[in-house]
Amino acid sequence: MLTPKARLLKVLNRQAVDRPPVICTGGMMNAAIIEIMNSTGHTLPEGHVNSHIMAQLAADIHQFTGFENIGIPFCMTVEAEILGSAVSYGTLSCEPKVTQEKYRTLAEVHPEDITHMLMQGRVQVVLDAIREAAAAHPEIPVIGNICGPVSLAASLVDPLALLKGLRKDKASAHRVFAYVSALLGKLACLMVENGAAVISIGDPTATGEILGPELFEEYAVRYINQIINSIHESQTDVIVHICGNMNRVRHLLPAIQADAISVDALVDLRKLKDDFPQMIVMGNVSTYLLQNGPADKVSATVQRLVEQGVDIISPACGLSTSTSISMIQAMTNAVRD
Amino acid sequence: MKVKKEEYFQQLSDAVVNMEEEKAVAIAVQVVEQHIDAFEAIEKGLSDGMTRAGKLYEEEEYFIPELLLCADAMYAGLDVLKPHLKVSGEAKGKIIIGVVEGDTHDIGKNIVKMMLETAGYQLIDLGRDVPPQRFVTVAKAEQAQMIAAATLMSTTMDKMEHIIKLLETEGLRGKCKVVVGGGPVSPAFAKKIGADAYAENATEAVRITKDLVSC
Repeated sequence: MLTPKARLLKVLNRQAVDRPPVICTGGMMNAAIIEIMNSTGHTLPEGHVNSHIMAQLAADIHQFTGFENIGIPFCMTVEAEILGSAVSYGTLSCEPKVTQEKYRTLAEVHPEDITHMLMQGRVQVVLDAIREAAAAHPEIPVIGNICGPVSLAASLVDPLALLKGLRKDKASAHRVFAYVSALLGKLACLMVENGAAVISIGDPTATGEILGPELFEEYAVRYINQIINSIHESQTDVIVHICGNMNRVRHLLPAIQADAISVDALVDLRKLKDDFPQMIVMGNVSTYLLQNGPADKVSATVQRLVEQGVDIISPACGLSTSTSISMIQAMTNAVRD
Repeated sequence: MKVKKEEYFQQLSDAVVNMEEEKAVAIAVQVVEQHIDAFEAIEKGLSDGMTRAGKLYEEEEYFIPELLLCADAMYAGLDVLKPHLKVSGEAKGKIIIGVVEGDTHDIGKNIVKMMLETAGYQLIDLGRDVPPQRFVTVAKAEQAQMIAAATLMSTTMDKMEHIIKLLETEGLRGKCKVVVGGGPVSPAFAKKIGADAYAENATEAVRITKDLVSC
């Protein structure tokens, strides 16, 4: 019998397994739902700033839902905060967000010392939580979540100015992307050193619909790969989640050097597998379906994904905090049965 | 020989489509110098360029960065021409726009706002992370004909339904239309929560608004 950790790592390394793992990475795709937090008392927003609560809540989610991993942290703002943007930690039901980007334009960005920055903010909280969870649950893969480079750049510089700058001020744009990517690579390696078995990169701003194929390739693919390379240097696998329908950037997916690609509910995974048989794909149970049910429809959807040969079963996007435990259990049980 | 005004309009339109801010300004200055009607230059030049850019966006030839740069060129030309408008055009209708509470992604909302402004509507922008009550309070105070609410996150979609319920409570549902949009929103969802329409993208938002808001 494979442990959940062995199973996930085998899949990421293209080895045969008994059945697909069913996971929820954490980060932008976390399952910190209200029902779990209220029953255990390990709540947000406290869990964003206290490493013990963060680790406990992540373990609660694994236990209550049946997701076969522990995902840390529960937001995408740790990086933006150390870069100097203003962040609100949100509430029990509302996730943290950047309230004010530090810079108005790309040209204004003044890079600071990355090693020093990684000692600021909540980085240590996240690393401590990863270490605590990994020590307490050696058979469960702890997934360390980082923000993708486009999303982080859009949390550092006003998003509209950033998007315009990708065309108009390419020199500054590449300078900023190199900066945030170096920071993200180092942060991911710290997560690995503290016990993260896998790193997941979520980059919701890097969609084909927003950037178009040309800029997606020039910025998203290039810098996501740069981050992946630094994580691979520490012998750790990487999952990349891409939002949106991907129609216009589909052909670029094989260029992303991730060990698995996770996609949105809009993407037909059977077709994706047909088009790219070499790709390890993850997804894509609609979070809207998970919120509203019914449970038998959730089970049927999951069974269809398993039959289609989807390598890792997972929600397609961030879960609503009002999703119920029973609906998620319908999802995870359908994979295990 | 005097260049025909149609050629100026074409050049203005092209400057917008080609994202050439400085050129848009230069042509707009010439338009003023030649005493060509500013309103006509906006309508047949700048606005036409933005419509063409919107079409390219719909056809997935242009994406958000291109659309934003086209808008910059349009606004730059507009700044030159506006003071020379003989009569200020009456706004076609008042619209409240914002991203619902819990979501701080406002790229899509800003595009829709820009396209609706280009189409002649008066927009009141509540920004991002807007509580349902605020949409309704402002809509009431401003006697707005429409609320346009967006979200990119499935976790915040239920706030849209909340806006509609609050409008009903205030007895404003008949007077104020609601259009919803954004990544996770679908026509089925819009129908389910009782919204008047779902807009898939900015150009569709303009088309729908023209149908829903008439003065």
